[in-house]
Amino acid sequence: MNQIKLKINGKSFDLLVGDQEMLSTVIREKAGLTGTKIGCEQGSCGACTVLVDNKPVLSCITPVMRFNGADITTIEGVSHNGKLHPLQEKFVEKGAVQCGFCTSGMTITALDFVNKNPNPSLNEIKDALSGNLCRCTGYKKIIEAVSEYAIEKLLGKQPSNHAKPSKGGTVGVSRPYIEAAKKVQGIADYADDIKLKGSLKVKFVRSIFPHAKIESIDTAEALKLEGVRYIATGVELPVTFGVLPISQDENAIAIKKTRYVGEIVAAVAADSEEIAEAACKIIKVHYTPLREFLTIDDSLADVGEYEKIHPEHGKQNNNVHKKAELRFGDQEQGLKDAEVVSKMSFEMEGINHGFTEPHAASAYWDENGLTVISATQISHYLHRALAKTMEIPLNRVRVIKPYVGGGFGGKGDPFPHEIIVAHLARKTGKPVSVRLTREEVFLTNHGRHPSKMTVQLGADKNGMLKVLDADIAIDGGAYGSFGVVTSYYNGVLLQAPYKLNNFGFRTYRVYTNKPQCGAMRGHGAVNSRFAVESLIDDISHKLKMDPVELRMKNFLDSHTLTVGQYRITSNGSRESVQKVAHQSDWQNKHGKMPFGHGFGVGCGFFISGSALPIIWNELPQSTVHLKVDFDGRVLIASGANDIGQGSDTMLAIIVAEVLGISMDKIFVIAADTLITPVDLGSYSSRVTFMAGNAAKNAAENLKKEIALAVATKFNLSVYDLYFSDNKIFSNDKQVDIDWLAGVEIVTANRGAVTVSGKYISPKLGGDFKGAGAGLSPSYSFGACVAEVKVETETGHVKILNVWGAHDCGKALNPMAVEGQLEGSWHMGIGQAMSEEMNYYNGLLVNNNFLDYKIPTALDTPDFHTNIIETNDPEGPFGAKECGEGALHPVIPAIANAIYDAVGVRITKLPIKSEEVLRLMKQAKQKSEQMV
Amino acid sequence: MVTTKTYIKAGSVEEAIAGAKGSEVPFKYLAGGTDVVVNKFQGTDESICLIDISGIDELRQIRTEGNYLKVGSLITLDELQKHQVILTHFPALAKAAHAAASPVIRKTGTIGGNILCENRCSFFNQSEFWRESVGYCLKCEGDVCIATGGTKACFSKFVSDTAPVLIAADADIEVYDEAGLSRVSLQNIYTGDGINPRCLSKTAVIKSIILPLNRNLSMVFKKLRPREAVDFTSLTSVVAIDKHGKIKIVLGGVDPMPVVVEGMMEDRNALINSAIKKARMVNNDYYSRGYRKEMITVFLQKSFKELI
Repeated sequence: MNQIKLKINGKSFDLLVGDQEMLSTVIREKAGLTGTKIGCEQGSCGACTVLVDNKPVLSCITPVMRFNGADITTIEGVSHNGKLHPLQEKFVEKGAVQCGFCTSGMTITALDFVNKNPNPSLNEIKDALSGNLCRCTGYKKIIEAVSEYAIEKLLGKQPSNHAKPSKGGTVGVSRPYIEAAKKVQGIADYADDIKLKGSLKVKFVRSIFPHAKIESIDTAEALKLEGVRYIATGVELPVTFGVLPISQDENAIAIKKTRYVGEIVAAVAADSEEIAEAACKIIKVHYTPLREFLTIDDSLADVGEYEKIHPEHGKQNNNVHKKAELRFGDQEQGLKDAEVVSKMSFEMEGINHGFTEPHAASAYWDENGLTVISATQISHYLHRALAKTMEIPLNRVRVIKPYVGGGFGGKGDPFPHEIIVAHLARKTGKPVSVRLTREEVFLTNHGRHPSKMTVQLGADKNGMLKVLDADIAIDGGAYGSFGVVTSYYNGVLLQAPYKLNNFGFRTYRVYTNKPQCGAMRGHGAVNSRFAVESLIDDISHKLKMDPVELRMKNFLDSHTLTVGQYRITSNGSRESVQKVAHQSDWQNKHGKMPFGHGFGVGCGFFISGSALPIIWNELPQSTVHLKVDFDGRVLIASGANDIGQGSDTMLAIIVAEVLGISMDKIFVIAADTLITPVDLGSYSSRVTFMAGNAAKNAAENLKKEIALAVATKFNLSVYDLYFSDNKIFSNDKQVDIDWLAGVEIVTANRGAVTVSGKYISPKLGGDFKGAGAGLSPSYSFGACVAEVKVETETGHVKILNVWGAHDCGKALNPMAVEGQLEGSWHMGIGQAMSEEMNYYNGLLVNNNFLDYKIPTALDTPDFHTNIIETNDPEGPFGAKECGEGALHPVIPAIANAIYDAVGVRITKLPIKSEEVLRLMKQAKQKSEQMV
Repeated sequence: MVTTKTYIKAGSVEEAIAGAKGSEVPFKYLAGGTDVVVNKFQGTDESICLIDISGIDELRQIRTEGNYLKVGSLITLDELQKHQVILTHFPALAKAAHAAASPVIRKTGTIGGNILCENRCSFFNQSEFWRESVGYCLKCEGDVCIATGGTKACFSKFVSDTAPVLIAADADIEVYDEAGLSRVSLQNIYTGDGINPRCLSKTAVIKSIILPLNRNLSMVFKKLRPREAVDFTSLTSVVAIDKHGKIKIVLGGVDPMPVVVEGMMEDRNALINSAIKKARMVNNDYYSRGYRKEMITVFLQKSFKELI
């Protein structure tokens, strides 16, 4: 150990540091400044950037010993005496902050950049930020924030206090997240920022075989290491778990056999991560490898004498996990009626959520039983899984969600590490914490399924769609996760946005010896949507009909049923595609650009919350509690998980709107299973619709209580009272009191008033097996046009522009909606162009942010964002989802633009330059042969 | 026992070399450290002692000496890409520096570190756990090359972005080691052996890179990578032409060492073929071997067009 001096944010520290300790560890663990984040431990994400003597440095890969005597500025030192720096103000004002995990590094990088380049172009800003990954925003709002900051700084303008929302309501007004100022200052605590006194750290021994019998585990030597407190193996946690009741197929630690490279085999709790890691290295595991099944084809086939991945699952001697098939109408007749039929086979690689915050969790036990603090999207299912695996009553478990650095579906399942820290905390009697490395995050996966599908679509000569048939196989990896739902979604979510009378599909989900797949943004339908929208483009081409026109002819109407009896309410398909066509000058561009330059269109459709709960019960899908006491503040308690998408703010907006009060009178407590009522969590794009409706219902109930008390006191009817602008009044001004006076009236002789609100989805759907899949009280719609340039010698595709429109019903917070749309398009571009889970014999090759290619600011085109509002009859104030559905149209829009540019049809994702080039050559050869 | 790691902050080249010489455990010099530290995390770098040379002022100068430009090895890639002399005389070098990694890394990463950047391979740049799973490759004490499915040679890629430009410009390097200061051609330090890709002595410290200023070279730099930032190269090509029409082609990312081909402008097609022949590419990259091979021709032809 060495003694060094550091000045951090103006404060002097005398520190004892290890010889090769990284600066980030010292800042976070010894100076206690957790605003500096660790996202990749590799220098590829930029989250750990700090200023050392005014130069940006990646603190997680730089030894602190280099900096003895240095002056360090972390994000906590950027604001001054509680006043935000103008750049931080801009980040808040422009909505450049979503989950907030990349924000510290992004801010530091941008600050340094603008100091040295006071008058940057937009491209220079993109270049400067290209080493800081953001997975939420699509960079657009960040670039805007930096650009405006630079301009105002140059002009010597005082930062404008961000526009105060106008009077007369909160719904429909753009505003920053309520916690945005906390996030830009680096003082919002994420799971790994919460340091529990005396907590032990955990590291895992992971399987090095894709499929193997565990013969023995020898922990004796490891237990002798000083500082090792406990080593757990699978037999201690015999109870299986899984997010779906029908897929309880996983143990927190493998028992008897391992099913993928990276599966946890033993877990060490020790005084430090280093000790735990050293212990892991000397635990001896003896395996007998089994034949592994790594591809869809392997797993569809009979295994013969070999052992299945899940020997107890299914009657067949293969690794098929789930088969689903539904047929509507008469597909044979549909094929006969079709003038043109297009049939193609597609292959999509698996992808990972790539949230910037790695999984982290802490657990402790006390007189109240178990408490787990975890970066989770669904506290409620984790609550249940912990009770089940710990074999304790539900009332002995509390799950707390701190700020979460993005999820996108990847923090939705209960995870082994969450169960293991709970177990180790019980065994050691101490708090236990874990943070996964980026490689471990990739191994945990639950990302989008690799898929193979053959899809055919037919249309008559007028372009009316007559038949759609899809044959789909998806690669689920080692365990079930959300996979049964994914299987259905791949098929059922094709029954809209187009009218289809003859529609059918068959899907298989197989187990393979790879990290499991699960739900990811746009769950289940992204790949099959890409296929169908490509086929539509092909049919349009064959019919010589504009693909926008063909789509316009076929869209379902509002307030109608699909062939599978989905109830379509509001429907902004037409407005969406017309908007992007108009804005992109589609008529003059599509099919009219020189070779290598093209425009393409795609549409999409998604659920706005699953109408059926995963675990069948009669609880409402969401319950929200409100409390108002003498001080006039309304406390919202909701189980919904804000994971950076802004759901806490959404709840506050709704309650403020109903009660006619300003946002500063609202306080949100969310996702603490002890304090907040059950909400099913952040998945299936359900939160705005369901928790939003529950909040609205609760606020209306509170309003009724207050109105009744006030009406009684003033002796008039509750119907004469209005709540607006922090006032309660009647038109004749007989009552004209401010909010607090109203609260005083309602709490008089009663005390604090608490009310509850709920949302229960209406009974929906047909009477057939599988009818429940994809049922939603409302659906979202959208469209994208993409403009690409294809370099004809290399096949390299550059996306220049994306025009997008999404029908979100009603934008409760337009700035937040734009952020969701831009983030979705960015993620779609990643899947389209560069992202894939690349395996070698079951080993994930690109398990880090250098090799897993999330688009940087430089790779992200300009987004032209349009919100379409259709006022859904059942959504809160007309709102429906905007966080997932927008992803669907962008991938086919890009692929169709490539077709427009160079005449080749893309059937594989990601779209690699070499594939484009190969297809171009093939097409050229073909046309030469024809000549 | 958890291994005790050590760290020496060298105030001078002499101190650094003395530290290296005296080290009883495996050591590594640390300049920017942006590659070394990551390799240490992954366990592909097994040094126990780090000798930090980043504070040695002697190594941080750019100056002209007669017909030569001397670039100190600790000049960061960011300084390089913005330096007026570089922009005037060697714009391709500025472009190459800008093409490396990401903006923050370029502010720490040095030109010396970039030319000495350890060779990379999809099957080598992995965690200890991963390499154990795959069965350790030749470059980390295994028996065979995994990328090629069992050959006894290592094809890890030479990935420096700046070195190909420097070699095309006939750069030398000044090297301190136990024997004192010597000057060698940069091109000659690369061995072509993926396991030990450079032949500098273990204790050597590069003092500076020496670039001839009187050659009047025109150069074109190109880099193939999936993203416009962050990524290591999948193919780097540099074509330099002097006033007599003499061409020097240097390729990176396609062989354990820089591929160098020289000749006259009129023989350019033959030069392309010979460069392709020399490049020992295997499937250890984001792009397939075949595509990268094809892109050598495309990149070089484009470069020639830009030069004519």
